[in-house]
Amino acid sequence: MNNSIAHGSPWTVGGKTLSSRFFLGTSHYPSPQVLGDAVRASGTEVLTVGLRRLQPESGGGASFWQRIQALGCHVLPNTAGCHSAGEAITLAQMAREIFGTTWIKLEVIGDDYTLQPDTVATLEAATALAKDGFDVFAYTTDDLVMAQRLHGAGCAAVMPWAAPIGTGRGPLNPFALETMRRRLPDAVLIVDAGLGRPSHAAQVMELGFDAVLLNTAVAQAGDPVRMARAFADGVAAGRAACESTPMPERAAAQASTATVGMPFWHGA
Amino acid sequence: MTNFEVSLNGKRIATQAATLQALLLERGFDMKSAFACAINHGFVPRPQWPERSLQGGDRIDVVTPITGG
Repeated sequence: MNNSIAHGSPWTVGGKTLSSRFFLGTSHYPSPQVLGDAVRASGTEVLTVGLRRLQPESGGGASFWQRIQALGCHVLPNTAGCHSAGEAITLAQMAREIFGTTWIKLEVIGDDYTLQPDTVATLEAATALAKDGFDVFAYTTDDLVMAQRLHGAGCAAVMPWAAPIGTGRGPLNPFALETMRRRLPDAVLIVDAGLGRPSHAAQVMELGFDAVLLNTAVAQAGDPVRMARAFADGVAAGRAACESTPMPERAAAQASTATVGMPFWHGA
Repeated sequence: MTNFEVSLNGKRIATQAATLQALLLERGFDMKSAFACAINHGFVPRPQWPERSLQGGDRIDVVTPITGG
């Protein structure tokens, strides 16, 4: 990690031990320089990347890949844009060869307008990829039963959305996320997509999620570098709160300052 | 040799390349670059490129790293 941000105790996912609980995407930054500065400010140890068709005259993505490698982070390739299990499996195999990692962020889109994942196809692909030795980070909705199935299929992490990709609306159904965390206590759960503000990250981390993954909220901020740091602080605050056991909510008010010895006390 | 048609990254082209590797060289791909190939939606590992033969109508995809979320 490039920056000292307390994200709680080290944790393990997909065979790797991490200190940071903040995964960051690499798209939509104003410039490669800002991307690098944001990555360093975030303290992230995991960057997501994609794959697209190569035209031979374009240089083979070499400059982008070299810049990412220079940042010293683990790489989590995605299957973004795939619309079937077969497409996602093939792209995952291509990613494994290019990036030299068994990690794959599995995305199979079911609806182009909302970018809602096709969870049935996701489960089919996750099952095949896990059997093939991949560490599958499965992007899904907040549906509890599908999360259970993905966990049961051997996914390294189940990654429910907070809201549709790129909307920045924050957790639309906190109850569903809270229930998923409670019902899958042993699964690695990472909130992926829909977070817009650091308070959103803090909120889901307080619920006990293991990490958050986001891109647009940092890349499209007015000051991406400062926002990256703000999200890191939000993740750290939420995790610290989770590990500190928040107080229970009460129905009635309870004074913080002792009433005994209060001058002008009208009761005596 | 006679020309035959394949699809390369969605574009129909005529080629005489007998193998995937020959096609990549013919089209000017830098073989040291980071890219991976699939034929007819099936992954072809890099060590198989020199022997993987092509047929008319094959759909070849070549992908490379880009930014991603």
